Amino acid sequence: MTTFQISAFVFLGLALAATISFRLRRQASFRVALAWSLLWIGAAAAIAWPQITVRVAHFLGIARGADLVFYLAILGMFVGFFAVYVRFRRMESEMTRIVRELALRTPKEPDPE
Amino acid sequence: MTGVVKDTTFIVIPAFNEGRAIGAVVAELKALWPHVIVVDDGSRDDTASVAQQSGATVLRHAVNRGQGAALQTGITHALRRGAQIVVTFDSDGQHRAEDVATLVAPIEEGRADVVLGSRFLGTTENMSVLRGLLLRTATAFTRMTSGARVTDAHNGLRAFSRAAASRLEIRLDRMAHASEIVDQVAEHGARCIEVPVHVRYTDYSKRKGQTGLGAFRVLLDYLWGRWLR
Repeated sequence: MTTFQISAFVFLGLALAATISFRLRRQASFRVALAWSLLWIGAAAAIAWPQITVRVAHFLGIARGADLVFYLAILGMFVGFFAVYVRFRRMESEMTRIVRELALRTPKEPDPE
Repeated sequence: MTGVVKDTTFIVIPAFNEGRAIGAVVAELKALWPHVIVVDDGSRDDTASVAQQSGATVLRHAVNRGQGAALQTGITHALRRGAQIVVTFDSDGQHRAEDVATLVAPIEEGRADVVLGSRFLGTTENMSVLRGLLLRTATAFTRMTSGARVTDAHNGLRAFSRAAASRLEIRLDRMAHASEIVDQVAEHGARCIEVPVHVRYTDYSKRKGQTGLGAFRVLLDYLWGRWLR
């Protein structure tokens, strides 16, 4: 086993443990925890047996396993950006609702002439 | 204009850092209409106090949320106060107070539910060629997306019957609300007409207005809002 593999397994093991711990403390939904867990396990599998990524890459018509991983990482980043943006928009509109509610509660009547 | 109409018409003015212009705008309106609501959209200047001194009811957004958000706040307040007609009016002095009666009349007479002011049916003062072109392009776009046959979709001077105002739900907080309003009016099947109004451009209002680049951001915001629905 290479040094890279050992350090990657340590990191991925910690990430998986953290994910499970989050789920046990009910700080993540089951679906979210499952998705992250699968990601960590998948990464560990790809590092343990790199041939897997080569097989999948060839199946998809990509020359190298590393390229496949690279493309997936970029795709994942875009999905992540989009999810954050959607959440940001939702927070913005929630903030507007709060600000509006506060404003409506305290109207200031005109000064008497 | 009868007294009853005057008493149940509420004018909503969204304002952001408009301390220099808002006093005159409110005073001009108050001379003709008793109910003027200024929504101070988190201004950092004296907009709120000037508006209040000039005779407006002031609602204050604790932080800046954009013109669309401020309009919706003012409209909601007007409806809670029993408004039968809600008029929206810009804070920078580009509209004339006497035009409000022209907008209110068709609703009072039961001829329309929504009345939009059009500077292209009416007249403008000092409008730059570029501004005219930008507005016409934006209007063409709104005509396409909403199917409403409007000549000026981005004019802040509008009037709504109580029923039409109640059904409005402005979700685009920033500037894209203008297209959103036209879309919703068309969608609700409200009877909508345009009346000519006069818009005067001053150096002040031009500085506060949208730039070409700003228009692009408005477009993105609008497309996002439509797509999310």
